[in-house]
Amino acid sequence: MAEATKVKKLFQKTLFGVFSLFGFIALSMSALCIYTVDTHLSEEYVSNSQDIAKTIADSSVDIMLNRNLAALQSLVDQFVEIQGIKYIYITNETGEFLVHTFVPGIPDEVLSADPMNTASVERTLPGMGDFVEVGAPILAGVAGTVHVGMDTSLIALKIQRAIGRQIYLISGVFLVGVFAAIWLVNLAAKPLNALLAYAVELARQGQAAAGEPAVLERNDEVGQLARLFLYMARQNSGDEPAKAPA
Amino acid sequence: MQRKSSGKSGPSSHALTRRAALSGGVAGAVLGPLAHGAGVAGAGVTDTEFVLGTSAAFSGPSMGLGIELYRGAMAYFEHINRQGGIGGRRVVLKTYDDGYQPDPSVRNTMNLVLEDGVFLLFGYVGTPTVTRVLPMLKLFQNRNVYMFFPFTGAQPQREPPYGEFAFNLRASYRQETAGLVNNFYAVGRWRIAVFYQADAYGRSGWAGVRAALAERGETIVGEATYQRGTKFTATMRRQVEILQAAQPDAVICIGSYAACAAFVRDAVDLGLRVPIANLSFVGSENLLKLLTEGMENSSQYTDWLVNSQVVPSYENVSIPAVREYRELMARYDPAPPELVTEPYTPFPQSFVSLEGFLNAKLMAEVLRRLDEPPTRAGLERAVFAVQGFNLGVSELISFGPARRQGMQRVYYTVVEGGRFVTLEDWGAKFAKT
Repeated sequence: MAEATKVKKLFQKTLFGVFSLFGFIALSMSALCIYTVDTHLSEEYVSNSQDIAKTIADSSVDIMLNRNLAALQSLVDQFVEIQGIKYIYITNETGEFLVHTFVPGIPDEVLSADPMNTASVERTLPGMGDFVEVGAPILAGVAGTVHVGMDTSLIALKIQRAIGRQIYLISGVFLVGVFAAIWLVNLAAKPLNALLAYAVELARQGQAAAGEPAVLERNDEVGQLARLFLYMARQNSGDEPAKAPA
Repeated sequence: MQRKSSGKSGPSSHALTRRAALSGGVAGAVLGPLAHGAGVAGAGVTDTEFVLGTSAAFSGPSMGLGIELYRGAMAYFEHINRQGGIGGRRVVLKTYDDGYQPDPSVRNTMNLVLEDGVFLLFGYVGTPTVTRVLPMLKLFQNRNVYMFFPFTGAQPQREPPYGEFAFNLRASYRQETAGLVNNFYAVGRWRIAVFYQADAYGRSGWAGVRAALAERGETIVGEATYQRGTKFTATMRRQVEILQAAQPDAVICIGSYAACAAFVRDAVDLGLRVPIANLSFVGSENLLKLLTEGMENSSQYTDWLVNSQVVPSYENVSIPAVREYRELMARYDPAPPELVTEPYTPFPQSFVSLEGFLNAKLMAEVLRRLDEPPTRAGLERAVFAVQGFNLGVSELISFGPARRQGMQRVYYTVVEGGRFVTLEDWGAKFAKT
C-alpha cells in the first residue's frame, strides 16, 4: 500500500496543476460573468430609468401647470410600483421639491444635491441602500426636473443569482473531473505498481525467483521498463548477452 | 400591498340596517346585474330601486372611515326607504371593500359599472383611491357615470380634466389647510411643519399648506412622511425627530387616524409641545379612541389637538340637520356592511357618519329632481337644479357647471371632556407665548 501511495505521488503535481487550471478557469469565467451581467444590467437599468424619468417628465407638464400636485403624486406612486424603482422626486424650476416618495423624509444627500442636474449619479442613502439616480428635464428644464432612483441591490441580487447558477454548473463539472482524475490515476498507477513490485522482487531474489509476470508482456513503457530491469538483472548475474532489450 | 377586493370579499347590497332586518323589514339584497324595468331607461334603475355603488375602506387601518361614512348614509337611506323611497324607488347601496388601496378601488369600480351596472358611484373614501378611479370616469363618459360626494377634499375631482365627472359636498383640503394656517398665523404660530401620508392625499394637503403659507410669504419649515396603511403600533419617532429639528410652532397632519394617533403619541412622548392639527379625513373619534383608551394620563395626548371638520359638530343640536342625524342614527343604528370581517365597534355619532348622512340627504334630493324615466344622462341636470337648497346646516347648497362643491365652510374642534367640541377662541387655546 505504501508503494502504491508512492506511485500516486507521481501524479500529485499533475493533479494539482489540473485543479489549479480548473480553478483559474472557474474564477476567470465568474469574473467575466459578473462583469458582463453587471454591465448589461446596469446599462439596462439606467436606460429604463431614463425612459421612465422622461415619461414622467413628459406627462407631468399639464399636471404641473395646473398645480395639481395630488394628481402628480398619484402618477409618481404608480411608477414607483415598478420593480427596482425605489424613489422618485420632482422639483420645480427653482429646485423646490414638489412631489417625492421618501419616507420618513427627503434624505440630506438628496436635499444637498443639485436638483437641476439630470446626469446619472450613484447615491448611497443611509438606511435605504445604494442607488443609481437618473434625471430628465421637464420642458427642457424650465418647468423642473424628474429624478428616478433605481435600487442597485437588485442588480447585485441578479448578479448573485447568475453567479450562483454558474457555481452550481462549475461545481458539478469539478466533481465529475475529480472522479475522472482519480479513476485515470488509478488506471495509470496499476501497471506502475506491478512494475515496482516486480523490480523489488528482482532486486531481492534475482531473476529466477521473480518469475515471468504479466508486466513483461506489456507493449507500453511499463513493459519496456520491466524487460530492461530483467536485462540489467541478468547482466549483473553474468548470464545475459551484452545487447539491450528493444 | 394586496387588499381584499371584490373577488375575495364579495359585494353586499344594503337597503336595510341590521335592526330593520331583524324587525322583518323589506327585503334587501340586489343580486347580479340589474334588469331594466318597463318604462325605465337608465342603467341601475328599476321601477322599484335606485342602485348606487360604492368602494371604500371596510378593512385595514382605515376601515373606521369607510364604515362610519356608510353607516351615516344608510341611516338616511333607510329612513327614505321606509317612507316609500324616492318616486316609489328604494335606494340600494352596493358596497365593495378596497381597504383604502388604489388598485382594488379600480377593480371594484370596473365591477360596479360594467357588471353591476349601478346608477352612480357614491361615497367613495380616500384620495389615492379616488384619483386612480377618476380616469375611468372619463373612459366611461359615454355612459354618463358620475361620482357623488367622495370622502376626500383633494383637488383632482374638483378640477379639469376630471372635475366634470364628480360632485363634491364637503369643503376641500385646500380650504381646510388654508383655514388652519390662517388661524395658526393669527395666534403667532408662523412656523408650520407638515406630517403627511406619502401619497396623493398627503400631497394634496401638503400643497394646501404650502399654498396658504406662500400667500404670507412663508414656507413649510419641516416635513415628514409615513407609508399609507401604517398602524397605531408603529413608531413615528423618526418623523417626530425630523420635525423637532425644524422647531415648528405647529404641526399639520394629513393622514388617517391610526398613523396620526401614533404620531401624536410619539410627539408628546418626545416632548414636542406644539399644537398638532388634523384634517377632517383623519376620523376624529377613531383618533381620540386610540389616544385615550388604555393610555395613562391620556389628556396630555389630546391637550394640543385641533381638528378641522367639514361638517358641524354632531353635539350642536341647535342645527336642524344634526338633530335629524342624531334621531335617525339612534332609530336605525345602521350596522357595518356585511363584508366587514374585522372586529369594529361603531360610534353612536361621529363627524364621518354625519358627513355620510348629509351626503345621503343631498343624494336623495338629487334623485328626487330626476326626470321620468330616470337616466344617468339626466343626473347632471338634476344636480344643477339644486339651487339654494337647505340641507339643514348653516349654509345653502347650490350647484352649477362652475360650482361642483356644495359646502364651503370649515369648522375647528378640540378635545374637552373626552370629546371633540367646537373651538371658539384660537387665541385662548393656542396663542404662542
